[in-house]
Amino acid sequence: MTAINNECPYISKNKINFTFDGKNLPAYEGDTIASALLRNNIRLVGRSFKYHRPRGIYTCGIEEPNALVQILSEHNEPNTRATIKRVYDGMEISSQNRWPSLKFDLGAINNILSPIFSAGFYYKTFMGPKGFWKNIYEPLIRKSAGLGKPPKNFRSKSIHQYHNTDIVIIGGGLSGLITARKFVNTKYKVLLIEQDSFLGGILKNSNKVDSINGISPLEWIKETEELLSDSKNITILKNTLVTTYNFTNHLVALEDKYSGRKIDLKKSELTLHKIRTSLTILSNGHIERFISFRNNDLPGVMLASSFEKYIHRYGVIPESKPVIFTNNSSTFSLLKSMTSLGYKPEAYIDSRKKDEIETEIKKFLKNNNITSYFDSEVEGCDGNKKVEKITIRNGKNYFKLNSSMLCVSGGFNPDIHLFTQSKGLVKWDKLIASFKPDTSFQRTLTLGSVSGNYNFKKLCDEINQKLSFLKTKKANLEIKCNVTNKFSLRELWETKKKKNSNWSKSFIDLHNDVTINDLKQAITEGFDRIEHLKRYTTNSMGTDQGKISSINSLALVSKLLKKEIAEVGTTTYRPPYAPLSFAAIAGRSTYEFYDPERKTSIHSWHLENNAVFEDVGQWKRPWYFKANNDETMHQAVQRESKMLRQGAGILDGSTLGKIEIKGRDALEFMNLMYTNAFTKMKPMTSRYALMLGEDGMIKDDGIICKISDQHFIATTTSSGAPKVLADMEEYLQTEWPHLQVYLNSITEQFSTFNISGPKTRDIMARVFPHIDFSNEAFPFMTFKNFDYQDTKIRIMRASFTGELGYEIYIPPKYGLELWEKIFSCGKVFNLIPYGTETMHLLRAEKGYIVVGQETDGTVTPLDLNYNWMIGKNKKDFIGKRSLSRPDTARNDRKQLVGLLPINQSDMIEEGQHIVEINKLPNKIKNPIKYLGHVSSSYHSPNLNKSIGLAMIKGGNNLLGQRFFVTVSGNTKNIPVEIVNPVFIDPENKRLTS
Amino acid sequence: MILIKCPYCGERDQSEFANGGEAHVVRPKNPESLSDKDWGEYVFYRNNPKGIFYERWVHSHGCKKWFNVVRNTSTDQILKVYKVNEKRPDLTEFENTLKSPSGEPSVGSGNFAVKK
Repeated sequence: MTAINNECPYISKNKINFTFDGKNLPAYEGDTIASALLRNNIRLVGRSFKYHRPRGIYTCGIEEPNALVQILSEHNEPNTRATIKRVYDGMEISSQNRWPSLKFDLGAINNILSPIFSAGFYYKTFMGPKGFWKNIYEPLIRKSAGLGKPPKNFRSKSIHQYHNTDIVIIGGGLSGLITARKFVNTKYKVLLIEQDSFLGGILKNSNKVDSINGISPLEWIKETEELLSDSKNITILKNTLVTTYNFTNHLVALEDKYSGRKIDLKKSELTLHKIRTSLTILSNGHIERFISFRNNDLPGVMLASSFEKYIHRYGVIPESKPVIFTNNSSTFSLLKSMTSLGYKPEAYIDSRKKDEIETEIKKFLKNNNITSYFDSEVEGCDGNKKVEKITIRNGKNYFKLNSSMLCVSGGFNPDIHLFTQSKGLVKWDKLIASFKPDTSFQRTLTLGSVSGNYNFKKLCDEINQKLSFLKTKKANLEIKCNVTNKFSLRELWETKKKKNSNWSKSFIDLHNDVTINDLKQAITEGFDRIEHLKRYTTNSMGTDQGKISSINSLALVSKLLKKEIAEVGTTTYRPPYAPLSFAAIAGRSTYEFYDPERKTSIHSWHLENNAVFEDVGQWKRPWYFKANNDETMHQAVQRESKMLRQGAGILDGSTLGKIEIKGRDALEFMNLMYTNAFTKMKPMTSRYALMLGEDGMIKDDGIICKISDQHFIATTTSSGAPKVLADMEEYLQTEWPHLQVYLNSITEQFSTFNISGPKTRDIMARVFPHIDFSNEAFPFMTFKNFDYQDTKIRIMRASFTGELGYEIYIPPKYGLELWEKIFSCGKVFNLIPYGTETMHLLRAEKGYIVVGQETDGTVTPLDLNYNWMIGKNKKDFIGKRSLSRPDTARNDRKQLVGLLPINQSDMIEEGQHIVEINKLPNKIKNPIKYLGHVSSSYHSPNLNKSIGLAMIKGGNNLLGQRFFVTVSGNTKNIPVEIVNPVFIDPENKRLTS
Repeated sequence: MILIKCPYCGERDQSEFANGGEAHVVRPKNPESLSDKDWGEYVFYRNNPKGIFYERWVHSHGCKKWFNVVRNTSTDQILKVYKVNEKRPDLTEFENTLKSPSGEPSVGSGNFAVKK
């Protein structure tokens, strides 16, 4: 039966209520879910991962493998550790991984079927028949195996905070506090991080320490906390867990700001601290480990130090008459705690031989009349969903004890997780039978039990000695202990079974349901490397990362392999130390803050005129404009395309990247960066230009305006602008630092409108009555600057549609007004706005490429027959030499061609293959000869047939030939003819009209 | 996340920087006179050592300046930072630095977290 420790000072007496699986239960403020459940005598809290075995509360902290619950009142937050999450009034909690109820779980059939779920079962079973995995096995397994259910909605709930500090002390236990006191009022900036809501660690979790400097541990903690808080150089973070230890002393810690309080949906409940420090002091203590025996997972089995922690930290005695099973001297303090409160354990079982056990303990057992068995062990325990009977082996004799709880201690592991994350080396310590830190890789110190020092008397000496290189006061505390200071232990990882059976299970990993038999089987199957073994058996791969069991499994494996533990080694510890939610990592980078949205100055007009938007990089660009609500995308694009070629259309091209290139050597620089020759180009003219990589492949294209030899403006693709600018900068800084050139991104300094169509000249003449737009005064590919109101605009004659066209560059402030003016002037000429889809269709009709659609990083200008764009007489430009490499000069490279379906109503799909056969076999046995792929495909409203562009091997020599294009979901291919890629106006009459 | 000392701005988080691969790969002055093989080596071949590596970084979310770094790819320690126009430090300068975090072999990786 549960009992209460009324002397516990840490729990307030404010009563609150919470619900567990719908049942209303009382608790005290300050309780964790686990302590509150134990207070209510509830031991069964969940079902296990694989076998659905009943499970209870095993520990009292972060190491908990079993007691994971779902918090319904916090948006269904799953897999919450009941042992650290604190309850508040009105909290709603449910158990996990059970159906229909916790007490009666149908999934428990897995326990009976367990022989087929042994190590690596998912690699061996569920092999067929075809389709069964996807439709039957996987959904079934996903439903029955696993943890909680994911939250329904994502909620942004964390903020990030950055720290730069001199010293970080991780762990505010005894050694952490002694260390922190040394830094009081020093020049060092110190951050003390404690995962609990209290400082003190072992001082409040046990009664091992009687007094410090003559005062009680509680008073000493209070005194220390006051001292630290008053010191301006020290910051204390409570409820904060360090999860990650990165290179160059970079730490990540998660703070729960609403621990024990109802969350406020309007405020962030978590803070992710990102800390950079020059020295990290680890004083994060140790974690108790268990011992494997038959049914060591039954609710009622608990770690001994956790049991003691519930007594002192939460005032709950989980069971008034437990059986204690240990292999070391540490459980002495639990014995003392129990007896001092007037309770007596049912029995004390120590696996050590009588002469190995401290006389102090033996005397205590005798004086208090506690039933004790030395050189004995627990063979196993039995019961229905809880411990009822415990079988003890004493030599060759077996006997049973009645108790509902069993406290186990298999020794202590220094918590080396963070130390090994920092890439420090660990070594095996025979005395404590565990790994402890050896050589630090970074500026890291380990103090206290994490360094393997379990002796309070030596603590101050250790801290003084390790910190002697810093100018701090000497710590000089007299720590008086209740229990023996010497730590002794007899290695015990697994107890002997009375008889072997497939149904009896000794667990080595409670969280993932891995048994000792699984380990044995995996080794028999040849998995003798610890990293392989771990993955094959899923041992220590649960969310608890095997905190109470991983060293046990190493020890067992080393025994099975007949190797030293140090030789077997540890598996790699990786961050995070304990799970943290994605929301914590995401911080404020959620929803609209995840990636900025860029909008042009005309955006509001687009919205009013039924634009449907497309994301281009971060930009929002109109994709097409709906004439009415019923118009489909296809109809809109067909309409826009047709009306433009008959009248005029205007496109908001403000998103186009614009880079200004200025300086003494601008001309030389441009000649090097682009394929084209700019030397003979006249000022105030422009040119379509290509930028290559050193490998000769097209990276970007755009129009280059030459104002003078010292001043150019280059446009880039909308999404390529940042990369082009960065590449230009790179070459200027690293390859040609002697060139005097300055680059400036002016993308957002101008709104850009592209007006094109046969009626454009008339419209422009009305908008700008003082400007002569005649062909003679304003020829194709020239530009001019004009005064407009109190600003300057630039107009360029250029076109991406193949029609007569102009581009207007105007400061964004004046953009919308001019846009509206153009529309009022253009009304009589049927001017329409058009979007990117129509732009793509029109340029495909004209055979213009789009970088990233026709090109994919493997296409040279020669492949597109753009030889005319290459300044062959230039000595050098980026990628020039690569164009004559044997591979780029091949004749059978994929080349740009046009496609026309033989049957004009056939629509070919972009991305489909071009092949020689009209029908694919039903079952493809031999590779089918592949000629190329379709890069663009549209139904042209102006030609009234479907057209396509394609990249085909040796395409230049295939004009007029017939091939076939594959169809998705159909074996019958579409016959096509290879044609010239320019479908409209190959003579450029419209363009230059 | 490593800490990088930009020679122009000082120490900053790695997230402010972008890596530019091997340093001191000079673009040939006369590409046309190079054989296909030599040009191909300039374009496509880079060293990828386990150990000391001369590499380029750019403070892309800062001053946008390129600079050179000597980094041990095995320990991720930055041994030296210098500007593009400064002399390449000699390898002997780094002879006495840590070779690897856990005494691993000079090629490949593995779980050698435990000292024998």
